Amino acid sequence: MNVAFLGLSQRNRYVVLGIALSAITVGCGPEKPSIFVWHAYRGDEEKALEQATRRWEEKTGNHVDLLAIPHGAYAAKLEAAIPHGHGPDLFIDAHERLGSFVRDGLVAKVDDKEIQAFAAEGAARRSLTVAGKGYGFPLASKGLALIVNRQFVPNKPASFEALFHGTYPAGIKPLAYEIQSSYGQAPFVHAFGSHFIAADGTFGFVGEPAEKSLDLVAGWQKRGVVVPDADGALVSQLFAAERVAAVISGPWFLADFSAKFPIDVYPLPPLYVPADVPAAGAPASTSDGPLPRPFLTVEAAFLTPDGAARPEVHDLANFLATDPESLRLRATVGKQVVALAAGVDLPATTVAFGKVADQAELTPTSPAMRATWVPVEQALKKVLRGDATSHDAVLEAGRRFADATKPPLQGEPPPKKTPLFVVFGMLLLGAVFAAIKQAKQTDIRAELRRSKTAYAYVTHAAIIVALLVVAPLVAGAATSLYAGTRSDPTYVGFTNYIAILTARGGALLGHGSFYLTLLVTVLWTIINVFFHVSIGLLLGVVLSRESLRLKPLYRTLLILPWAIPSYVTALSWKGMFHKQYGAVNGILHFFGVAPVSWFSKFSTAFTANITTNVWLGFPFMMVVTMGALTSIPKDVLEAADVDGATPWQRFRYVTLPLLRPALLPSVALGAVWTFNMFNVVFLVSEGEPDGTTDILVSDAYRWAFTRDAQYGYAAAYAVVIFGILFLGSRALQWLGERFSGTSEASK
Amino acid sequence: MSPPKERVPLWVSIGSHTVLAAATLFAVYPVLWVISLAFSAGGDAPEPRVVPFPAHPTLENFKQFVGLDHAGGFALFLGQLGNSLIVSLATALVAVVIATPASYALARLPFFGKEGALRTLFATQMFPAVASAVPLYVLLEHLHLLDARSGLVLVYATTAIPFAIFQLKGAIETIPVDLEEAAMVDGATRFQAFVKVVLPAARPAIAVTALFAFMSAWNEFILAATLLSRKSAFTLPIVLQSYVGEHLANWGVFAAGALLVSAPVMILFYIVQRQLISGLTAGGVKG
Amino acid sequence: MAHPPAKDRCVARGVTKAYGNNPILRGIDLQIPEGSFAVLVGPSGCGKSTLLRAVAGLETVDGGTITLGDRDVTALPPRDRDVAMVFQSYALYPHLTVRDNLAFGLELRKTPKDIIAARVAEASTMLGLDPLLERLPKQLSGGQRQRVAMGRAVVRRAQLYLFDEPLSNLDAALRAEVRVEIRKLHERIGATTLYVTHDQVEAMTLADTLWVLHGGKVAQSGPPLDVYERPNSLFVAGFLGSPKINLLPGTLAFQGNRWSANERASEPGNYQFRVDEDRFAAGLQEGRSVTIGVRPQDVAVAHGDDPVFGQLTVDLVEALGSEGLAHGDLGGTPFVARLDAEEARTVKPKSRVPLTVKAHRVHLFDPSTEKAL
Repeated sequence: MNVAFLGLSQRNRYVVLGIALSAITVGCGPEKPSIFVWHAYRGDEEKALEQATRRWEEKTGNHVDLLAIPHGAYAAKLEAAIPHGHGPDLFIDAHERLGSFVRDGLVAKVDDKEIQAFAAEGAARRSLTVAGKGYGFPLASKGLALIVNRQFVPNKPASFEALFHGTYPAGIKPLAYEIQSSYGQAPFVHAFGSHFIAADGTFGFVGEPAEKSLDLVAGWQKRGVVVPDADGALVSQLFAAERVAAVISGPWFLADFSAKFPIDVYPLPPLYVPADVPAAGAPASTSDGPLPRPFLTVEAAFLTPDGAARPEVHDLANFLATDPESLRLRATVGKQVVALAAGVDLPATTVAFGKVADQAELTPTSPAMRATWVPVEQALKKVLRGDATSHDAVLEAGRRFADATKPPLQGEPPPKKTPLFVVFGMLLLGAVFAAIKQAKQTDIRAELRRSKTAYAYVTHAAIIVALLVVAPLVAGAATSLYAGTRSDPTYVGFTNYIAILTARGGALLGHGSFYLTLLVTVLWTIINVFFHVSIGLLLGVVLSRESLRLKPLYRTLLILPWAIPSYVTALSWKGMFHKQYGAVNGILHFFGVAPVSWFSKFSTAFTANITTNVWLGFPFMMVVTMGALTSIPKDVLEAADVDGATPWQRFRYVTLPLLRPALLPSVALGAVWTFNMFNVVFLVSEGEPDGTTDILVSDAYRWAFTRDAQYGYAAAYAVVIFGILFLGSRALQWLGERFSGTSEASK
Repeated sequence: MSPPKERVPLWVSIGSHTVLAAATLFAVYPVLWVISLAFSAGGDAPEPRVVPFPAHPTLENFKQFVGLDHAGGFALFLGQLGNSLIVSLATALVAVVIATPASYALARLPFFGKEGALRTLFATQMFPAVASAVPLYVLLEHLHLLDARSGLVLVYATTAIPFAIFQLKGAIETIPVDLEEAAMVDGATRFQAFVKVVLPAARPAIAVTALFAFMSAWNEFILAATLLSRKSAFTLPIVLQSYVGEHLANWGVFAAGALLVSAPVMILFYIVQRQLISGLTAGGVKG
Repeated sequence: MAHPPAKDRCVARGVTKAYGNNPILRGIDLQIPEGSFAVLVGPSGCGKSTLLRAVAGLETVDGGTITLGDRDVTALPPRDRDVAMVFQSYALYPHLTVRDNLAFGLELRKTPKDIIAARVAEASTMLGLDPLLERLPKQLSGGQRQRVAMGRAVVRRAQLYLFDEPLSNLDAALRAEVRVEIRKLHERIGATTLYVTHDQVEAMTLADTLWVLHGGKVAQSGPPLDVYERPNSLFVAGFLGSPKINLLPGTLAFQGNRWSANERASEPGNYQFRVDEDRFAAGLQEGRSVTIGVRPQDVAVAHGDDPVFGQLTVDLVEALGSEGLAHGDLGGTPFVARLDAEEARTVKPKSRVPLTVKAHRVHLFDPSTEKAL
């Protein structure tokens, strides 16, 4: 019975109901077996892939089902679908995730003969080799290059110093790139001979070379030769608006860039050459400086175990990777830097990007790679903010990486299979004990007889909730007793919990420890709920005034933050908090306040998060308040007026106490939601600075997704969060009962 | 019948409008940025701006989102819009159909295990979803409901049901018991009383609950993208999210899409405004 | 009360009900003869509403039986009992028009459409609802709602009609009006009725049989005037009548061939009542302590050779127009006496007024058992 139904007659309702039910039960009908291909391309790259695939279909008469999946859900979908046989036959992804794919059994090995057919020794071949075996058909490579506006940079700059010393019109910076990302930092890390993951698989971002790379870019920022604070969108915006002479970016940059002026693409030049005028304090050099070497990512078509069994899938992959027609389409339409470009005419920019491979460092495929990005990025940001010396920052990054990848268990692994049953058994036992306890107190038979009517109403809901809500939660909670990856879990008992509750052996209130995060989370919840409730109350009360004009207008506009998906508006807020171009600083500027770098300090970053979440959350409390106000009898308020109460007194002593019972449940639920509101933290501050604004839930997500896929650990986190909320709510309830009991007695 | 209009002092009137105008500005401002972005052509120079207005207004982003920029795109868009509507409406329907009888029993009838059921239900709200996604996937696989709209509806409905039950339980508690008793004396079974008297009386709350369930399904994309594997079966949020790529995002189209996706929700909000307010009267949750 | 059981439309036998450890009904016996109007009256918490709801089937009972007509309905749900009920809150279905509200019960019973229409028309005419038939409850005034609630019962032709304080939400004037309407309606359709109220005026005026409940038991039952005039306990005497009955301590004495009840009769300012020797014959013992009950309405200012039972020291006179009330003190006990309009004007505070009362209006109770002698 929903809104659309309200106006319909009885008979029409059934008709609509029937249509709705038949519409949802129509799933996918049987189709002739086609080849399923998944990818996360969009725009031109997607078009090129579609066209190339169509060529192959025409040639072979097979049918291909292409599916573009949003990048944000791609990895999760692959990991969920393929092991259960619901994945594609072929999927396209970057080679750097190959390590985990192989480990989790998502990809099938490709025959050596097949590879030899197209790939000589080279980056592409190496990138797709794990433990001596080849996987996947290379399609395109992606690496950073220097893209210049020919109006400002007519010739290839000999070095970065040369670029910086060029003469540009006023207001134009020499360079912009994603200076705060570890991916953007990678070329310089490699330039000084450092690494993210060393050849022996240990953390490579250590020692003097790493420090030098940090000092280098911090120096650039200080000299004002690069745009600080730029993300990908801003980089392309600035370049398109002719506000920077050059940018560092990848081939994707060209896909969305419609040139109004001529551009050139060059591999990254050396940092300096002998001809450069030395920067202040630096000695003039006698030889070429270090050469920045970006990460090179090879995108490849991977066969899943299902797809590998079908020869036509091999053929399709081979066609996409090697056929001249496919190469041409992907290079021209998709603007891809095709990996195997022999004998195809390519656009000049593509050729230039192709040369990047010569000086690039292949992104390591080791699963531990995933755990390097955040520590490096945090060190980088810290140094750019001036919060730490490069020496300390590098040391800290090392500690972080070690912490994130540390196996939770050092002792002997206990037995493997039984534990899941043990967990369920224990839960069952608990339930039985609880039931027995209850049964002892009351005559259970009479109780059950009395309950018969009610069970007719709740049973279906109870079964569905138990099966689809509670069971997955319990199963999820059970994974907290395991460590390791999904394909190879090890039973570790309560080790994950012990690790969490002992702050992983660090200082209990040390940086990023569980307890500090808990403190931040509690603070976050209290402040948010306070503002949600107070703003909601104020607006609800004002909006409930009878003679108010424009009420429907206000009401609708004030509900806006609730109606628009929060993953959209949270990003809007993030933009508004941008230091240079954000509207918040614009408004502050209007009042003569100097621009605030919102995400560089805990206090301001936390404020930004809170502002966003208050914005998101107040409409709910407002509406709840308005609803609750309708149930307060008018005469009570009038009585207060007659008694000579001021409006404030009337609100404080009459309205508020009467609202309380109606509001409390919503406040409780709101507090729980806020406690677990990871969207805002994830999208607005992203935990900045330095992970300090992370709350427990966003931390749990990081454990699951950015720190070497420690799902068990993340699940333990979730259980701990649950425990805290559960105990907290019971304690509050108990306090509330005591409090209201005494306050009523005193009346 | 309307009571005489109370005379409102001028300062109260000015005060309320000031408060409301300020709050409205706060509520609308970030949305204006989304709107401005949606109407912007790419390539506008980034300027520190306070007034959100596109330098060169254009409808290109909207055209691209609805697929008017390439052949067959619009039909696909309409199909996906249809998917979103079907899935969201069905979610609302299923959630309400399942939650309403249960919340009636929780509000009105004594039964063994009631306290425990309520506690469990509240507890499910405390569990971060991070832990349950994979088991849910496995479950749907066993039910053979992967890649079917019905499976998605089931998943959405289950997340919507606990909240719906709290919501409706609170609402039903505010309906006088006398009504049902009158019906039963008049010759109704309890079930008839529930259907013919309680349901109509709870209609505003049911409408609001349905709206919430609709919204939660309408905006969700992670589960949808994980469970659905055909483009023609996609819902709009998946399409929307696909404009945010690994390296580069098309924020203009993303914003335009966000506005288009939000529009039906806004319209529904506007329609059920009144019910929204009375329906939430007793969003009663008792742990 | 002398009706043979066969003629009783509704019988409750030994009905008990408790909420947890809190007994609400402690063994109620009740009979309502066919076509008669029974009123349950008592202070709040006496169990009258619970009993009504038990008869309706809205409450289960712990013990005892309830019979309607010749069926034992104790275990039946409300819909199978064939009763109609008017609720205190009216309980009109808010989403249905007046017409649909009236027809609801008949439609549930799958009554043919033409019969429904005829019955609704009949009831609506009887109750003056014709112009309101298409309105929703929220568009009606309080009195109109009340009439719809009654109409809903009337169309049902039920075996037994139940009223749960149906007038308590109306203002005083309307209440009097509807009270008369209810009685008229009863006479017209001859419905067997069980009516719950805490208002004794309603109870007295409407009832064929009055059932006074106290503490989950029937304290006294009978025709209303009998109960009023012959209360069997201090509770019933105190509960019926407004202003409340005056209660005075006293001692029985046999003097000059007459029994009297007095208090220090020799001292000035005290009182001495003649006793109805026939009524209390069994309980008369010299020197026995009693509680004397005299209703304010039954006393009058003594004139001429009226026997005077005492002198009232007046504190305050309330003039009510047609009559007056003198509040004062009689032998150290507060006492209220009714005055006629003329006396209300002349009697002044601080004056002493001689009072008289007919012997058969003097009620005697045992102070320890609180029962009538």
